Amino acid sequence: MRSPYLLTAFTLLMSTLSACHGVLDDIYDEPKGNVDMKQGRLYMDASSWLDWYYLDFNTINKNFAEGGTSSMFVRYAIPTEEAPDQNAQPSTLSPQPGLYTYWYDVFGAGLSNHDFRGFTPTAAQPEPDVWHIAVHRNNVRTNGGAAYETTYTSIADLPESSEAFKDATFTPDEWNELDVWTLREQMLQGIISNQGIEVNPVLSSWLKVDIPPVPPVFTLNNHVFIVKFEDDTYAAIQLENYQSPSGTKCCLTINYKYPY
Amino acid sequence: MYSVAQTPDSTFYLNNVVVTGTRTPKLLKDSPIPTRLITSADIEKVDATNVEDLLQQEMPGVEFSYAMNQKKHMNLSGFGGQGILFLVDGERLAGETMDDVDFTRLNMANVERIEIVKGAVSALYGSNAGGGVINIITKDGTEPWTLHLNGRLARHNERRLGGAYGVNGRHLKNMLNVNHTSTDNFSVHNAENPATQVVSTIYGDRTWNIKDRLVFMPTNKLKLIGRVGYFYRELTRTADTPERYRDFNAGLRGLWNITPSDNLELSYSFDQYDKSDYHKIPHIDVRDYSNVQNTFRGLYHHHDKNSGDILTVGADFMHDYLMNKNLGSQYESQNSFDAFAQYDWLINTRWELVGALRYDYFSDSESARFTPKLSARYSLPITVNAQPSTLNLRFGYGMGFRSPALKEKYYNFDMEGIWIIRGNPDLKSELSHNFNVSADYTKGHYNFTIAAYYNDVQNKLATGVPHYLPGDDKQLYLDYANLAKYSIYGGDATVQARWSNGISARLSYAYTNERFPKDKEGHTINNQYIPARKHSLTARIDWDKQFTSNYGLLLSLNGRFLSAVKNVEFIDYYDISKGTSTIHYPAYTLWKFSATQRIGKAFRVTAALDNLFNYKPKYHYFNSPLTDGINLMVGLSVDIEKL
Repeated sequence: MRSPYLLTAFTLLMSTLSACHGVLDDIYDEPKGNVDMKQGRLYMDASSWLDWYYLDFNTINKNFAEGGTSSMFVRYAIPTEEAPDQNAQPSTLSPQPGLYTYWYDVFGAGLSNHDFRGFTPTAAQPEPDVWHIAVHRNNVRTNGGAAYETTYTSIADLPESSEAFKDATFTPDEWNELDVWTLREQMLQGIISNQGIEVNPVLSSWLKVDIPPVPPVFTLNNHVFIVKFEDDTYAAIQLENYQSPSGTKCCLTINYKYPY
Repeated sequence: MYSVAQTPDSTFYLNNVVVTGTRTPKLLKDSPIPTRLITSADIEKVDATNVEDLLQQEMPGVEFSYAMNQKKHMNLSGFGGQGILFLVDGERLAGETMDDVDFTRLNMANVERIEIVKGAVSALYGSNAGGGVINIITKDGTEPWTLHLNGRLARHNERRLGGAYGVNGRHLKNMLNVNHTSTDNFSVHNAENPATQVVSTIYGDRTWNIKDRLVFMPTNKLKLIGRVGYFYRELTRTADTPERYRDFNAGLRGLWNITPSDNLELSYSFDQYDKSDYHKIPHIDVRDYSNVQNTFRGLYHHHDKNSGDILTVGADFMHDYLMNKNLGSQYESQNSFDAFAQYDWLINTRWELVGALRYDYFSDSESARFTPKLSARYSLPITVNAQPSTLNLRFGYGMGFRSPALKEKYYNFDMEGIWIIRGNPDLKSELSHNFNVSADYTKGHYNFTIAAYYNDVQNKLATGVPHYLPGDDKQLYLDYANLAKYSIYGGDATVQARWSNGISARLSYAYTNERFPKDKEGHTINNQYIPARKHSLTARIDWDKQFTSNYGLLLSLNGRFLSAVKNVEFIDYYDISKGTSTIHYPAYTLWKFSATQRIGKAFRVTAALDNLFNYKPKYHYFNSPLTDGINLMVGLSVDIEKL
């Protein structure tokens, strides 16, 4: 009766004596390496609060065809310097570029309860000559396009062509001064300065951010979106993941098909 | 358990044995080192799940609040975090968050008693014990076998399930404990325009705690104790990335009664506390923190049976390993060593003195220090109306010493873009002087205790004043520093009564005066924790009656009151040039009523109304109670062996 217990105790002692740096390392994982980019799959670190990342599907396809995987996106900073020659007051008739400062009831009713606190006119958002969509954290814009959310959860399952969606109702970009959070110096007080700019509300619903609670809850919508562009071409896009391998949020893995 | 005690001393547990102050068993009434005892009966009356539930209700001057990012912080008479040492069966716990141990590890299932020694008066505990020691002592089986099962349900999907299985033979004992708790996250409402930060969500969690302890007694002189434990906790702040906390612990202890007067204790303890984030989408569990402590201890007692004096000498060696993604190098480790000698001198029937000298050494900072301790008890027999009773007076002095923790020396953490918290390799050790005086008197149905203390802390270790580096006015830094001289003083008073009709009552009051710490240039620092409330009070009244041999009832009403408190905080954490303002945190009171029915010998059914008067804070500040109103709790426990 005694021997098994003594043996157990001895084994326990021996195993722990060698455990200066801990035991059971194997139950944990190492962060995976970089996400592989390939035809039909992109990885974009869009976690910056201060930048838009512009994406042109033709350039990306050409890049993949030539064996490249990097420099697929063009970064343009959000203007934050005050532009004194602009009107110091925002106009509801013709929204003007600038930073719109709002207080959000982050510790109470949530983002839906907010209050306008100020406006700083800035230069308009710079952009490249050619682009299809632009991404800022969880926000997405189109270059004069419109978007439709399907119920499909895989691009492979989509109908063969975009013809199947020709009668769908596509939503264009809309003016937004609440969601493109740019300056967060007073975030602890619930005050954030946002860029006033047109954003596509349907496409931006691929990653929803809810407050409360604090820190925010991110919810991924894995439906496939159809985007119709000005030149009557279509793209199918889907957000597969919004975190980097080390857990940074707003690092997006995007599945796409263009032209669709 | 519920029978009315016969003598005043046993009524108030004064004949119970305590060990924490001197590491030698002493009756509570005789211990020269003032010790607060919380028994398993007290735990049952409070229906406490964890140490937070229990201490807040049982001890005035204890408050659990939030630190940054809603991490739990405990304040005990002005000390907390690195100043309070938690022990389980005498063994320290690895791991910290915002300087505090993971309190959810300390569940109250199968706890025999808790002993609290305030201040640095005991020689047995060094760094981290400047403000006191809280020793949780678990139950040892006494019956041939026991199987206890219990469960409790409450609002927010709160569940508490537990089981304890014990076997007890002539040479072997084993006790297995398995406990599970879970509570959902819930939202709380705040009015507009709070004065400072508030919380909108109170995070629940899910825990598993499994422990096994094996005691082997090959002879009546030798006792070997082996233990192993596992703890798991999951908390979800972000749906796709729940936080996970794990602990693996094990230990071996040998107790050898060499002669009737001499005994030797050797022990080894292993404790590993890990934190990780589980990324649900890629299914990976990534660890970002691990603290591993390997501790060896030797302890020798010589008890002179003629004089009653006790000599205790001992030493500890600990290897402390820390992996933290926010350390500059990710990995740090250090060895610490201590040795102590304590003499417990029973001068005569009235006077007893405990004197001790302790030596500590820490390899990382190469700091070392001798710290003396002295405690005295004077017992004055008093006869009133031909009834003998005793007035005990106690005096104590202890020097405390705390070497900087590895985190305080090497941390580098970007806190939400506000500032970068930086360790400081040049930190000096913290030194404190603790003075205490107390008196207790028991007569008939009544027991009175009064105590006062003064703590003077030099080179207090904490974060200092936020600052910019030369030539950079954009990035703020908050460095660990040695602060200016800092003092805390206070006292407490308790009156207890227990009458033969089954009614008992206790009222305790604590006063704590914690001066706002400043840096050595007199600047206001960023205090990471809200200071202690000056006035606090706990109250309890019970009625316990055994109606028949198969039915008994315990009704218990518990309450606590905490006064308002002020704290100096930066008006704008992103622009410290705006200066500071004084934030007023309101007072509150909370009450709980519980009814426990004892049915037969095996069943207990408990129904409790927590937050009886449906208190809802207007603002859920970091030190507001974690409640959104009244909460009904229903529990059942069964002792299977008694069926």
